Amino acid sequence: MSVTFVLNDKSTTLNAPDDKPLLWALREDANLVGTKYGCGIAVCGACTVHVDGVPTRSCVTPCSAIAGKSVTTIEAIGSKSPGGFNAVQKAWIEHQVPQCGYCQSGFIMAATALLEKTPEPTDDEINAAITNLCRCGTYPAMRAAIKKAAQLKKAGA
Amino acid sequence: MAATKRFAKTRRAFLIGTGLVGGALAVGATLAWRRVANAETFILPVDAAKGEAAFNAWLKIAPDSTITVAVPRQDMGQGIYTMLAMYVAEELDADWSKVKVVQAPISVIYGNTTLLADGAPAPLKSVMVTVSKVLGLQTTGGSTSTRDGWMPMRMAAASARSMLLGVAAAKWNVPFSELTIEKSVIRHKSGKSAPIGEFAKDAALLPAPKFATPKPQADWKVLGTSPKRLDVPEKVNGAAQFGIDVRPEGLLYAAVKHINMVSGTLQEVRWKNGVVPKDVLHQVRGSDWLAVIATSSWSAQKALENVELIGGGDNATVLSSDVLTARYNEILDGGDRGVMPGSRPLRREYANRGDAPKLIAAAQKNQVVEAAYSVPLAAHATMEPMNCTVRIANGKVDVWCGNQAPTLLQWLAASSAGVSSDNVTIHTPYLGGGFGRRVDLEVVRQALACAKRTNGKPVQLIWSREQDMRHDAYRPAVSCKFTAVLGGNGTAGVSAWHHKLVGPSVMKATAVRLNAAAGGDFPPDKTNCEGAADLPYDFTNFKVDHAQVDLPVPLGFWRSVGHSFNAFFVESFVDELAFALKKDPYLFRLELLKNEPRFAKVLDAAASAAQWSAPLPSKNWGRGIAIAESFKSIVAQVVDVEIINKKIHVRRVVSAVDCGTALHPDNTKAQISSGAIYGLSAALNAKITLKDGRVEQGNFNDYPMLNLAECPQFETVIVNSGEPLGGIGEVGLPPVAPALANAVFMATGKRLRDLPLSLA
Repeated sequence: MSVTFVLNDKSTTLNAPDDKPLLWALREDANLVGTKYGCGIAVCGACTVHVDGVPTRSCVTPCSAIAGKSVTTIEAIGSKSPGGFNAVQKAWIEHQVPQCGYCQSGFIMAATALLEKTPEPTDDEINAAITNLCRCGTYPAMRAAIKKAAQLKKAGA
Repeated sequence: MAATKRFAKTRRAFLIGTGLVGGALAVGATLAWRRVANAETFILPVDAAKGEAAFNAWLKIAPDSTITVAVPRQDMGQGIYTMLAMYVAEELDADWSKVKVVQAPISVIYGNTTLLADGAPAPLKSVMVTVSKVLGLQTTGGSTSTRDGWMPMRMAAASARSMLLGVAAAKWNVPFSELTIEKSVIRHKSGKSAPIGEFAKDAALLPAPKFATPKPQADWKVLGTSPKRLDVPEKVNGAAQFGIDVRPEGLLYAAVKHINMVSGTLQEVRWKNGVVPKDVLHQVRGSDWLAVIATSSWSAQKALENVELIGGGDNATVLSSDVLTARYNEILDGGDRGVMPGSRPLRREYANRGDAPKLIAAAQKNQVVEAAYSVPLAAHATMEPMNCTVRIANGKVDVWCGNQAPTLLQWLAASSAGVSSDNVTIHTPYLGGGFGRRVDLEVVRQALACAKRTNGKPVQLIWSREQDMRHDAYRPAVSCKFTAVLGGNGTAGVSAWHHKLVGPSVMKATAVRLNAAAGGDFPPDKTNCEGAADLPYDFTNFKVDHAQVDLPVPLGFWRSVGHSFNAFFVESFVDELAFALKKDPYLFRLELLKNEPRFAKVLDAAASAAQWSAPLPSKNWGRGIAIAESFKSIVAQVVDVEIINKKIHVRRVVSAVDCGTALHPDNTKAQISSGAIYGLSAALNAKITLKDGRVEQGNFNDYPMLNLAECPQFETVIVNSGEPLGGIGEVGLPPVAPALANAVFMATGKRLRDLPLSLA
């Protein structure tokens, strides 16, 4: 009934049943509400977090699967960058990507992971990696922001 | 009050000196000013500890010169927090980095008079404006917020400006006319300067001036530029708070399940093996739903997997979509059976000039063009599912809910909890998408019922995605038939146009859903035929008929409402006529718009930016055009498609928009593509179908929406006509479906007349 893992660089024990999805453990037990519920079936990606650096849909990831692993959420993704925003977040601000904003945490987590693996993604690589859904249609600004973030990252932001 | 006395003389001198008198003002300005002046009876609450000074209902200024703007509209992504703050920043020549917004409290002063006036039939408009002022309905919808705030918010800030300058003039003993404000600093030509925060406290004690005139456009520094949105930084690090994120102390969680049909009554609750899961603290039963309360959302959702709800009753429906379509066609052919058992369609004429039926009857067969179109039910599918948090404790009610109508929530909470409205606080955080969905109150009603059971503990009710998808207040299914006569001496070769529609009234359905006592024959609903009865095209013989039916389906306002289907119908059929007349679809529209230069200019701008005549990459590509006016703005779009193995790939959308004046051009463009993408999802994928009274779709896997890979390139051209302001949040949607269908026709020769479009 409890799980111990590294959450945003701190060893954490949450009092949650093994089968409770990480999404709800984060939102209810860790009080980290930046990770969002959208569909519950791993389609929309609003719940994306990093588990050992890998973008993961937390709505279908049971707590038992993250024991001993390292989880990073939107609240901490920029914590090691100057100003508290990483290159993706900075590019997101520069291109004014968010509208309602609800899905944006998931997109930023997915884009951050993409750039870690593929520093200069092509359009096809962006399309393949970013499968999240946004109902406001922020995609055009988002594509531009991902490319900008790649530049910022290369320049050392 | 010493300050009042001290500066009263200065104030009077200033008023006379600047010649601000009410006599020569336009009526609109006088009415708007009354809204500001009334604000003297309602002043924005201040944080005394911070030393804030409130000038009226709309703004307050802190000693450090931070300007806090009270925004009485809800931000659901359309950027209204930023837009309305720009009104205030402009008049105060503010330093944008020191402008903040807060959600305004509920007061009649903030009522949205524009929305009610827009929605009402013409003869009722002035009455509705009055009604909305009296009731003070704070609502966000109908693409009205920028228009509604235009005069009062600029006047409120101009009034504060004159109060600040009045105090500075008196303190420095210089003429008022020699003072200016730059980036929140008051300056005198002598070189003397001080930030506005130093004068705020004294200035706010003065009575407001008799009138305040907003700046002329020539002097704008903020409006017409694109300052960074105020909400963006907190939307990139998870800090932005949505309704689903509030965490009042002692919070419990609830989940809800509805009966498995869109209309009916809960008859029986059957728990698996007769056992209620131990996580369930309380069960709350409603007319067609069961909610359970637990200590976690997840355990509440999980508990509901173990219950079967049996629905039935007199209002139970077994309607299926194919039956609905067949009944619509019957009605279009003159049938007298409605959709509800025993009902009849209510037939009304929404436009009639000349004599279209007579020309149609007299026409030769080869002169007549006929076509039938349809759209299905559509869900809103906001990314943040429906949710509401309520605490009822010590005679007070707190409601946290992303919503588009806080006044309605306040009334509902007060009557539900048996307290006066003064004891109800509505907290409106960011909305994770609105699109009309968050006008509906069902989730609020349910959360109130849950909170009555928890002895003062707050409860957060969250609908699962499946519940949200299957129990939305949907965009209605609508069908129509056109008959046109070509030839004769009609405009552009069209001598008659007859458009017959069948569908429900969204206004009536919403009224009934809000208040079950409403019903009967409603007055004509403008949304039935908006974008169909009010065309810019100059057809000499023109008739639009509507057969209104009631449906056993919850219905609501869906981004652009009637325009979401009527633009598809009309602009597709206009294209059919162009091809029947062997005319270029763009030039044919120009010909039809010969007496509408404003429309023609927007159409030209889109065609020119898209290089309408330029060749396409290959023969499986197509290009289509469409134009529509909605919410007082005009948008023309050119869509390029590529067809691969019968699949439609949208490659490019070029838009031109005339919303009067684009006050934040970057956001204008973002909203145009936002609306168009929402429209493309509906045109390509979105379809809610009924089978025996139950919605067949349940999640994003079977109600797909456009993703990044499928999203086309966007280009948007702004045409600033200087005409009165139009809306921007919905207007990018209407023309995109017909422009797309027209492009598919060019590529394939197939005319697709039903949404979603499919070549399979």
